Amino acid sequence: MGQIINEKINNFKKQLHNSDDFSSRVFVCKKGTIGFVFLKSMSDPTLFSQSIYLPIQNFSDEINAQSLIEKILKNNVVEKINENEIITNILDGKVVIFSDFFDEIISVDIAKYPTRIPSEPPTSPVIQGPREGFVEDFNTNITLLRRRIHSKDLVFETLNVGKVTQTKVVLSYIEGIADQKVIDEIKKKISKIKIDGIVDSYYILSFLEKRPNSLFKQIGNSEKPDVVVSKMLEGKVAIIVDNSPIVLTVPFILIEDMQSSNDYYTNHHYSTVVRFVRMFGLLIAIVAPGFYLALQLFHYNILPLNFLITIADTTQGLPFTPFLEILFIFLLFQILYEVSLRLPSYLGLATSVVGALILGDTGVKAGLISPPGVIITALAKIALYTVPEEQSQITVLQIVFIILGGSLGILGIVTGFVYVVNYLNTLDDFNSPYLAPYAPRIKEDLQDALIKVAPNEMKSPPKSFSGSKEGEK
Amino acid sequence: MRTISARQTGIIIFLTILANKILLLPSIMYQQTKADSIFGILVIFFVELLILSIFLYVKLKFPNENLQEILQKKIGHFCAKFIIFIFLIFFLFKTMLTYSVVYVYLKDLVYQDEFGFLAIVCFLPVVNHGVICGLRSISRTFELFFYLVIAGILFCFGIAFFTEISMPVFFTANPLTIFNTSFKYLFSFGDYLVLFVFIEKINLKKNDVKKFLRFVILGILIVSSIFVIFYAKYQITAFMHNNALADLLVFSVQFNAIGRLDIVAMLTIMTLGLFQLEIFQYAFCESFSMVFTKLNNKFAIAVFDILFFVIYFILIGKYELMINFTTSYLCYFSLLSNFLLPFIIFAVSFSKNKRIKNKGVRDEKSN
Repeated sequence: MGQIINEKINNFKKQLHNSDDFSSRVFVCKKGTIGFVFLKSMSDPTLFSQSIYLPIQNFSDEINAQSLIEKILKNNVVEKINENEIITNILDGKVVIFSDFFDEIISVDIAKYPTRIPSEPPTSPVIQGPREGFVEDFNTNITLLRRRIHSKDLVFETLNVGKVTQTKVVLSYIEGIADQKVIDEIKKKISKIKIDGIVDSYYILSFLEKRPNSLFKQIGNSEKPDVVVSKMLEGKVAIIVDNSPIVLTVPFILIEDMQSSNDYYTNHHYSTVVRFVRMFGLLIAIVAPGFYLALQLFHYNILPLNFLITIADTTQGLPFTPFLEILFIFLLFQILYEVSLRLPSYLGLATSVVGALILGDTGVKAGLISPPGVIITALAKIALYTVPEEQSQITVLQIVFIILGGSLGILGIVTGFVYVVNYLNTLDDFNSPYLAPYAPRIKEDLQDALIKVAPNEMKSPPKSFSGSKEGEK
Repeated sequence: MRTISARQTGIIIFLTILANKILLLPSIMYQQTKADSIFGILVIFFVELLILSIFLYVKLKFPNENLQEILQKKIGHFCAKFIIFIFLIFFLFKTMLTYSVVYVYLKDLVYQDEFGFLAIVCFLPVVNHGVICGLRSISRTFELFFYLVIAGILFCFGIAFFTEISMPVFFTANPLTIFNTSFKYLFSFGDYLVLFVFIEKINLKKNDVKKFLRFVILGILIVSSIFVIFYAKYQITAFMHNNALADLLVFSVQFNAIGRLDIVAMLTIMTLGLFQLEIFQYAFCESFSMVFTKLNNKFAIAVFDILFFVIYFILIGKYELMINFTTSYLCYFSLLSNFLLPFIIFAVSFSKNKRIKNKGVRDEKSN
């Protein structure tokens, strides 16, 4: 008696390569044997005992599939599954129940594994406004979105990606607001992903991007549910990946990185000023070192006389050429940045002292680098964090513009800039122009671009993400 | 097909109208007709507005057909290609002229050295890339920079007023001299022709015409204003200042007080120059693709680059030669390209329906 059940249990264990966290129970009753299989690491054994095993044990009537589902396990999340789904359900932390006297296979959710409590993400702190951030558990992330959108039109669609990891990728959108073509295209792209494993949402980025080799990001991301919800209300699709606190949003346009969640929780006039500051910061971050080099090497006659004298005074006797000097300082800053990222926080102060005092101040006093060079490079490096989401792209552009400014002067900067803008204008993934609402000009969306109007004046949803633009088809 | 909007078309035309007219032209025209040059350019602009109305007529009549398709139906394959080939030559030299004018400016005021090869290294890859990106990308870039260019030009105008300026003396040249001078510099005009070569890519409806014309008028106003302010500022010494827009800033009180503000003019001129080169090269490549239908766009770009280098070494290395060439030979050519060709296109498009009708009648008879 129970031989068939034991064989089945052994078979499942074998399929899971005799993994140590595999757990099974057998219950023998008058009619036959019931088998239970689950993973100790993914499920709650106490919950199993109290809400499944004990109620079955104490059940006095005849046990069959119907009584199990409708009476004994009525307080649990129960699902009838087929044989092919058994292993997946076990891996999901569910207990799978089967028997030799009924044909049905039942799965009961008793999943329990360590998860982080939603807290303020370190990358996007706010002065006012919600402080919750996404966590690694996708179920929690779904809850965070569902709690904010009480609508029957909010849809979650789960896909499994990764040959080995079978990671859950959840598409979330608001039916009727999101563009169906975009949803279909994303589904198509995700279903085509052939990869062993998805460890983080960044793994699927390159599969979704139209130009995976491009320097510029084409998919938005956020760690904050309020940001993702507002993007979904604009018609975007959110992509939640299990085990990643970063939720992707599609389509993406550059102006999104100029907007911060802070902007929506403060006075709109102030938000406008801050957005212009960010724009200016972005511009300074990209071209300041290259522009300084261009002025110093090619167009010194443009500089005001006093500034020219200061530069001439401080750069006299330097061992490096201006071009190499800026590259050297840039490299120094980048090394300090990388070090500060990887050092434990208690060593942060030491890094600052070494960086600012020893390398910076002493470097100037020793005559290795000039103060204007340090100021310009530091300014560019600090300005970069006015738009921290674009940090990696700007760093590469900084190097490009240093080379252009140092070798071709202002003409190099201007031509480089036009080249980049031309390129950005070719990026229109999911029919959303990258530089909208300015190129092409989409009048309705200008109300929440660099200039932000009061929320009561924003009457129409953004059109930058919808199918056709005015005149451009 | 990826089309561009009426607003984007207007901006393209606005920026191309400024081509070759805001730097050298006011100065060299002044040598012959003094401040009366303004009347010459106003007359040419007026005639060009008529040409523009031909474009609008053709566009509204054949909203989805390209120039080759429009011409081929009536005058045949060979003649259509010949007309487009003339456009091709026009745009090639137009690019060269724009390049040489910007080159003179950069050489005189920015780099103060022979830097011809450096300029080519800067310009050509970016212009080629723009053409590869396509008309939509170019038009979006223009759209993004439009207000910056306007701001740059208005800034130059504003600073120009911080110096002693007086009304230029008009009516000193006789009409024949004005006519001769205007004719001599005719090649600097005819910028509307770019619209004909990508006519099918423009999304222009009847109710968009006003929107489009607004940019054209703005362009004409700005060019005329540069001429007037430049002459008002420099009076009889205007012929000595080869870079009109940039020179508007020089000698202004604020200019000296604040510091070197010519960075604004410099950035504006470089951007404008680059955009004009982009659009003319794009027009060249489009014409090329229509003439040599079996060759793709990349081949057209390669051909352009080779021709550019060849002409550069013949003419632009000695840029005075290029400018002399445009005033001595190309003015006759531009008479054909700027005026005659649009009228031929008009005549062709006008009579097209008639032919179809006749054909229809013949078909009915034969049935």
